[in-house]
Amino acid sequence: MTREEEDLLVEQVAGAWRPRTEDELAYHKAWHDLDAAARERAFELARALRPLEAALDPDGLSTTARAVLARITRR
Amino acid sequence: MNHDLFLPGIIAGDARTFGIWMASCEPTVRLSLRSFASVVDTEAVLQESLLRVWQVAPRFIPDGRDNGLLRLAIRIARNLAVSELRKTRARPAEAEQIEDALAEDDAPPAPPDPMLRRHIANCCEKLPQRPREAFDARLHAEGDDDDLATKLGMTLNTFLQNFTRARKMIADCLKRAGVAL
Repeated sequence: MTREEEDLLVEQVAGAWRPRTEDELAYHKAWHDLDAAARERAFELARALRPLEAALDPDGLSTTARAVLARITRR
Repeated sequence: MNHDLFLPGIIAGDARTFGIWMASCEPTVRLSLRSFASVVDTEAVLQESLLRVWQVAPRFIPDGRDNGLLRLAIRIARNLAVSELRKTRARPAEAEQIEDALAEDDAPPAPPDPMLRRHIANCCEKLPQRPREAFDARLHAEGDDDDLATKLGMTLNTFLQNFTRARKMIADCLKRAGVAL
């Protein structure tokens, strides 16, 4: 995998979208393709992104919080 | 600030109040998972943990110390991450690292900064069209990156490249404005 290809996977894993399942934790499929260092990069990228997202949201919610609320209200 | 002041609303089943609590506490819970980042999908663990906090909140009994629900969230997230480690048989994080992460997370959550919000909004307004579309799509639309790319008429790679470009341009813009995130 080139660095550019890895960067795109890191960008995906840093997003808040995760597949929906009823009873178990659903990993992003791209997460499995990353090595330990790239997974840590994705973690730090997500940490940096969420305050940006929250600052742009009228309710101050990050995409993570929005995803959780969507699951709550869908039940 | 003691974020347990939101407890009555959360216990009453008010999702909006839970959203306010999450807005304040999410960064701290996320940070508590740092030592697991190379071995579990921390975003998935975090979202599931926050959902479980919502589910158990009606039965939560405060212990008299501040931020009891936040401490519970950190405990749920850590236990879930450890459980995931056991499932995958991956090398667990060192106990000392976990304790360090938890200690780091003892700091109370900081309230949002209105000035920072203004700076970020200003920087987003300056983005070129395609990067901005990609950035906005992640913020406002539901679905995975494949879906978002299709809706914007982009390939997945182009969508991700535009998103990356937007993110870096916002970071540069904030840096020029003297804002460090």
